[in-house]
Amino acid sequence: MGMVIDLLHVFYGDMPEAIFNTAVFFKNSYDDNWIVDDFSKQMIADVDKSEVLGSGVIDSPVLGKIAPERLSGGVKTLMLVKFMPDMVFNVSTCGNNCAKWLLKIAADEERTVNLRNIMNFGEEPFAIHVLNTDEVVHSMRELLPIAIKYV
Amino acid sequence: MRGSYDVVINSRRLQYKFTIRRNITVIRGQSATGKTTLVEMIRDCNENGIDSGITIKCDKECVVLSGRKWERDIAELENSIVFIDEGHNFVLSQEFAEAIKKTSNYYVIVTRERLENIPYSVDEIYGIRNSGKYGKLQASYHEFYRLYENIPMGQPKPIKKLLTEDSRAGYQFFSEVGTDKGVTCASAGGKSNVAAAIMACHEPVLVVADGAAFGPEMERITELMKLRDGIYLYLPESFEWLILQSGLITKENLTDILATPYDYIDSEKYFSWEQFFTTILQDSTRGTLYQYVKNKLNPVYLHEANKMKILAVMKPLMNRWGW
Repeated sequence: MGMVIDLLHVFYGDMPEAIFNTAVFFKNSYDDNWIVDDFSKQMIADVDKSEVLGSGVIDSPVLGKIAPERLSGGVKTLMLVKFMPDMVFNVSTCGNNCAKWLLKIAADEERTVNLRNIMNFGEEPFAIHVLNTDEVVHSMRELLPIAIKYV
Repeated sequence: MRGSYDVVINSRRLQYKFTIRRNITVIRGQSATGKTTLVEMIRDCNENGIDSGITIKCDKECVVLSGRKWERDIAELENSIVFIDEGHNFVLSQEFAEAIKKTSNYYVIVTRERLENIPYSVDEIYGIRNSGKYGKLQASYHEFYRLYENIPMGQPKPIKKLLTEDSRAGYQFFSEVGTDKGVTCASAGGKSNVAAAIMACHEPVLVVADGAAFGPEMERITELMKLRDGIYLYLPESFEWLILQSGLITKENLTDILATPYDYIDSEKYFSWEQFFTTILQDSTRGTLYQYVKNKLNPVYLHEANKMKILAVMKPLMNRWGW
């Protein structure tokens, strides 16, 4: 039996069922446990260069001690994707520095996200299922010609 | 509104310093660079004034636009710099594009979306970078930088094809240039078709498009350039700007206008600088030998000496390929 590989499913373009304003959704939906989760701590350290001190306090080198609501829009969206697997979020609120984390989240469990711009997923091989065309692609060389048709 | 405006925003921990030059500015880039923090600081200052602990220095009022009542709010704003954070899907609508078109405000929009309805310039797409600490309080200093200022184009290969965004005067001019250089010229039939036209072309291609309104296409095309050599861009403000720069046209103040267009281009009248340059070229040449009509290029611009003057504006690019 072949190995089952979990995938990041991406829908490009307008997707009415996706949560568009992820910052507002995060503010009213996040759970304290998300912040102190080891995976979240790694994402916050990598993207925001900040350290989680507790469920309600993050130490930012630029902003000082901040509440989770003041994390970057990218990290907040990544946490929504990670911890609310049944929902679809607009991940164009994430910069390219979040792309590897989307792939890592989906490496363990399948996720569906909505992209409304050309996110660069880097030079390493990846597996992304483009829902618009029902194709699985493994590189930007394969992904870009499809994405350009929709965003 | 016309003019260029320096904006300095301070709190105890942060300083933002940047200049807004056109009616539309787009901010995008990596996560965690301080885009939303910038908009939040302006909002805090709007709502709480001196109590916010934030100061904004700018010759125009800086305000934040958000929420469902954006149309009503825009109608009430005049001569302001209006900041819109990401997450507001109204910026994607045709209604928003129409609403901001004839206003006296400048708009700074935080988004990674294309905004294909809005003709923003390739020069007014910025990222934010933290340039370290300043002053005794060790606050962080943030500045804007142009995302597409120095696009790596790789080693020059002999151009096999010229691709223009439209099919009118600019295309007619570059078709003639292409014939001279032994290069075919094609029109993409609109800027939104340029990326697809590049993909369909497997030879080294030089894209000539109006930089004043080409912002929505830049992400797609620069991503293509990362994957493939032999895609080159030439993005003057517009074809009409090229003619005005060439010295063929005489007009009072033209040198000043071209040096600081933002001092002359009224956002209420011109949605894009391209429209302004077309208007002044048409007005300056009306009834003269050089009468300019956008739909059909006046053959006078193809006379050898005139053509060479226009091409001289592109000199660095021409030198690159030994043209």
